[in-house]
Amino acid sequence: MLEVAIIGVGWAGSKSCTPDLSFQEMVYEAAVKAYADANVNPQVDVDAFISADEDYWAGYSIFEEYVPDQLGAVLKPTWHITGDGLHALINAYMMIRSNLFEVVVVESHSKASDILSYAGIIQHATDPVYVKPLGGHPFYIAGLEMRRYLYETGVSEEQCAQVVVKNKRNAIFNPNAAYPAELTVEDVLNSPYVFSPLKALEVSSTAEGAIVMVLASGDVARRLTDVPIWVRGVGWAIDTPNLDGRDWGRAVYVEVAADMAYKMAGITNPRRQIHVAEVDDKFSYKELQHVEALRLCTRGEAGELLEAGSFYVNGELPVNPSGGCLGVGNLLEACGLSRALEVVLQLRGQAQGRQVEDAKVGVAQTWRGIPTTSGAVVVLSTEG
Amino acid sequence: MFEKLTRVTDVKHEIGDMAVVYRYTAGIAGERFFLEIKENARFIGTQCVKCNVTYVPPRIYCERCFENIENAWVDVGKRGVVHTYSVAYIDENGKRLDKPIVWAFIRIANGGLIHMIDEVDPKDVKIGMVVEPAFKDKVERIGSITDIKYFKPAS
Repeated sequence: MLEVAIIGVGWAGSKSCTPDLSFQEMVYEAAVKAYADANVNPQVDVDAFISADEDYWAGYSIFEEYVPDQLGAVLKPTWHITGDGLHALINAYMMIRSNLFEVVVVESHSKASDILSYAGIIQHATDPVYVKPLGGHPFYIAGLEMRRYLYETGVSEEQCAQVVVKNKRNAIFNPNAAYPAELTVEDVLNSPYVFSPLKALEVSSTAEGAIVMVLASGDVARRLTDVPIWVRGVGWAIDTPNLDGRDWGRAVYVEVAADMAYKMAGITNPRRQIHVAEVDDKFSYKELQHVEALRLCTRGEAGELLEAGSFYVNGELPVNPSGGCLGVGNLLEACGLSRALEVVLQLRGQAQGRQVEDAKVGVAQTWRGIPTTSGAVVVLSTEG
Repeated sequence: MFEKLTRVTDVKHEIGDMAVVYRYTAGIAGERFFLEIKENARFIGTQCVKCNVTYVPPRIYCERCFENIENAWVDVGKRGVVHTYSVAYIDENGKRLDKPIVWAFIRIANGGLIHMIDEVDPKDVKIGMVVEPAFKDKVERIGSITDIKYFKPAS
């Protein structure tokens, strides 16, 4: 079977805001680092490039026009997908598995502070006939999800608050995180309700940054690097877009995506076989819901395991040692690559002050945020 | 060059916007759903007999088995059950609302509607509460989700 590895990673940010840099300059910084890390020349060694973004976030119509130059990809096979960076990574994996390409680069970024109508874009993503005419900040949908999740599982508001405490504390040890903080559960619980039961500190803040990764076939990977991180399984799914038909308490899209990725990776007991997990936590409760959907514990168990310390960096199953979206920042469509980047650094043993011991297999999961039910899962390993 | 920069807006930037206006077609199913609201102040759905599922709002196809169900209309009554709810304290511009809005997903048959809940103290809203729509007067109804002012506890 054709093997695929991540052989280089580079990033710029994450920062709460980057007033001096255009998005192209951020991407260029990340790309230069990734090519140096992978020991490749983009104009000679890279066969194809994929970028992931959403036109509304980018602020350009037909954004793919603006992808090539800052990646060294002018007049090379390049495309742009509307999706999370993890979807781009999955596309690169498939291109290499097809045996038509040996080295493929993926890129995603966020220039969130340029977006002056953030809530409006999300509102514009809700159903224009049945939902949008009602108005309101669309994050009420997160409040609806959280209420139902707590109701069905018995997970508590305190446990959700502890996700924020853990992730912002982890971010203190991540120099690439925009929102590190030392908080208490009381601090989070005392922050004002925004969309009850969701509180202000439980909503990740947007941040800016760019992430570039170089993927290669097994032969090329072994030639270019001593620390290839192998892509062992990929999966993705989207539930119905209709708010009347989705499951309000469960992240079924992640359950399906995880099953697909685990089957490919030969993972039958995720809790035992996975050593580190980076999961989407755009809102506090999402981390717990996603951990359960990834079958890293049983449904309703995530809150107790968090309280018992299992999800901390030195726990039985570290979750979001990077700090997640709550600590690193919500990088919009670059969130998935931010999760994958941390797993790569952890598996390489390069996570410095937040290194998980003996991490050999990790999972990265993303979710495209409110109002979507779009998720993706990638299993990475030090073993080919 | 930027050492003494203290305001983001001090760096060179351009403000750009674009007026985007669309016309969203409700479709066969949506047309009939909203006509029933407008004319008769009631909800109808479509039923997939094979999956034993009733869609509210209606669809002309079953998203579970993909069968065409455009002739399987059913009256689903007016009442619904609060499946989940959230009290919004800020508006779409991030400003604190003077009066918080109770949002809910109201289960009707196997589907349901997103809407607001009123005529009840937010503290008294519960999952499982039976609610009914407060429609606008017939002359004001245009065939829109906004023909429902909000839902309220069922009488």
